[in-house]
Amino acid sequence: MPTADASGGGLHIVVCAKQVLDPDGVNSFAFWGRLQVGGDGRSFDTGEMVPRIINAYDEQAVEAALRIRDARVDCRITVVTVGDEEAGAILKRCVAMGADDAVQIVDAAAGLGDGFRTARLLAGLIAELGDVDLVLCGRQGSDYDQGTVPAALAERLGAALVTMSAGVAVEGGTLRVVRVTPRGEEVVRATLPAVVSISNEIGTPRYPSSRRMMQARRQRPERREASDYEGAPGAVGVEVTRLMVPDVQGHCEIIEGGSAAEKAERLMAQLHERGLLGG
Amino acid sequence: MAEHVLVLVTAIEAGGPLRDADGEALGAAQALARERGCEVACALIGADVAAAATEAAERGAGLILTADAAGLAAFDGGRSVTIAAEAVGRAEARVVLIPRGPDVLELAPRLAARLDGASVVGATEVRTASDDVVAVAAVFGGAARAEYAFRAPGPHVIGLAPAVAEVPERRPGRSAPAVALAIPEADGRVRTIEAAPDVSGPRLEDAKLVVAGGRGLQDGENFALIRELAQALGGMPGASRAIVDDGWASFEQQVGLTGKIVTPDVYFAVGISGASQHMAGCANARCIVAVNTDPEAPIFTFADYGIVDDALDVLPALVRLARERGA
Ligand SMILES: Cc1cc2nc3c(=O)[nH]c(=O)nc-3n(C[C@H](O)[C@H](O)[C@H](O)COP(=O)(O)OP(=O)(O)OC[C@H]3O[C@@H](n4cnc5c(N)ncnc54)[C@H](O)[C@@H]3O)c2cc1C
Ligand SMILES: Nc1ncnc2c1ncn2[C@@H]1O[C@H](COP(=O)(O)O)[C@@H](O)[C@H]1O
Repeated sequence: MPTADASGGGLHIVVCAKQVLDPDGVNSFAFWGRLQVGGDGRSFDTGEMVPRIINAYDEQAVEAALRIRDARVDCRITVVTVGDEEAGAILKRCVAMGADDAVQIVDAAAGLGDGFRTARLLAGLIAELGDVDLVLCGRQGSDYDQGTVPAALAERLGAALVTMSAGVAVEGGTLRVVRVTPRGEEVVRATLPAVVSISNEIGTPRYPSSRRMMQARRQRPERREASDYEGAPGAVGVEVTRLMVPDVQGHCEIIEGGSAAEKAERLMAQLHERGLLGG
Repeated sequence: MAEHVLVLVTAIEAGGPLRDADGEALGAAQALARERGCEVACALIGADVAAAATEAAERGAGLILTADAAGLAAFDGGRSVTIAAEAVGRAEARVVLIPRGPDVLELAPRLAARLDGASVVGATEVRTASDDVVAVAAVFGGAARAEYAFRAPGPHVIGLAPAVAEVPERRPGRSAPAVALAIPEADGRVRTIEAAPDVSGPRLEDAKLVVAGGRGLQDGENFALIRELAQALGGMPGASRAIVDDGWASFEQQVGLTGKIVTPDVYFAVGISGASQHMAGCANARCIVAVNTDPEAPIFTFADYGIVDDALDVLPALVRLARERGA
């Protein structure tokens, strides 16, 4: 990435978005004990029953980019995804929210859970775009919960990295980023170029109007192939070789009673008897 | 020097001892080192790491690597990664284990990417398979687990989940050769301009008893009942993400995958459905009590005791009983 050019030409923001299985759908399958691994041994057999959607944190990363624009920073917003043929669908929502351009890298190896490969492809695309100042990611994919891509991308691009952000502002060619830490919020200043990962504390993303949805539906994302950037096919970092669904055996003792107060009393007696209430 | 399995401990506060998580990582490293026919190295990065270094050697590390500077008491992004990368080189490590802690999520993938390796975080299991290591970690918030193979030429960097191994016993007087690592300048690209609040009070992660509320509380005001019960029982209040998002409770109180991981003796889940992402934060409690109006709620498959009733009737009764006990 080139260094930020605060002197005109505007800021180029790239938002990285990933398509994932709807986690609520996966949860429902798990609740009813119907979550199963498919024939390939490394993906669920939920088929079309669980829809594929944009990773929620990535929708919030788009929101973070749009808030920079709302703050009257002259900027161009490009959304990018790496995935199979269908994955490009999520870009339409991002464009409807307000992103200017969309690029999809089609990658046959996208299902291997290899964030290092994804980061390589994204770094290749970002180098090709040439003028990118800021890359926004989600804090993690809600599929593998790893958070590899933002960190690996920052290393590849030689850019500053700020994780777990609840708000990003551009101030005079630098970033002011609010971070969520286990102790509460902190604020950091970061130089550009930078990669920032966005956490859910940033709040609810805006809802695109139906007019914008209609327009976005007609816009085709630009298309690239993984082979444009990466010689070797297959995993380059890690590879999910097996998926396993734990068998949760319930062992709950339901406390019966005629009233809530009676149940409460019996519960407290049990906990007390087992020495679980301290002193 | 020869290959070592490296344990990487960062952000050691002035003179601090090893934490449980660090000891567990040494235990996991020892098992792997035995299988690989090599020794364990431990890198200690922080402010005044002497006490931690002594302890690491006494707990079995055969090589100690230290980076000691006041500014390293907290994880320092690119600088910590640079020091860690040197430690990997010195230890000729193919396998790097990082104890659980808030920095792993950044440190593991950055270190891996810098050294052309690969990382997996949240590993609940690390084992040797045909000369290489395999890591298992929860996916989809805990609804399933994935087994990962490493395909990168560089080191395999693994961030550990709690309780992957026993802490090796301490043998007082045991020592190991120590090497000081170079300490580069702070990289300056990311600077803290407003620090996080200096919370010195009790931490949710350490609480022996947690009373957590969810959307079943119906209304934000009712979170007061959760606080009252926690207080009456000498514990701390917690919350599901749903009600943190709604503003009924604060982010610091969130339990789960993207909140705190708690391990109390008793965990009350009141009006919480039991989504995998929530359970990821409390499944290791010794005893889980669920209060929920819906007898089919998934929380009951994880709970030890259940009350099927309205939280707003059960909570006041529990508060009264707890206060009577305390009085
Ligand atoms: C990537 C990702 C990360 C996430 N991280 C977290 C996390 O860290 N922590 C977390 O908690 N969640 C997390 N979630 C969200 C999680 O999936 C659930 O949506 C959330 O835990 C649900 O919160 P809840 O149980 O309070 O609400 P609900 O699921 O709405 O459940 C409310 C429960 O209350 C019961 N109830 C209703 N009325 C009453 C009453 N009067 N008395 C008693 N019970 C009643 C209902 O039967 C129901 O079971 C995450 C989700 C994703 C996708
Ligand atoms: N296939 C992908 N295409 C585009 N962005 C991605 C992809 N995978 C991960 N990312 C970005 O990296 C973040 C962390 O994802 P992960 O490393 O998969 O946990 C996501 O929130 C996205 O912003």
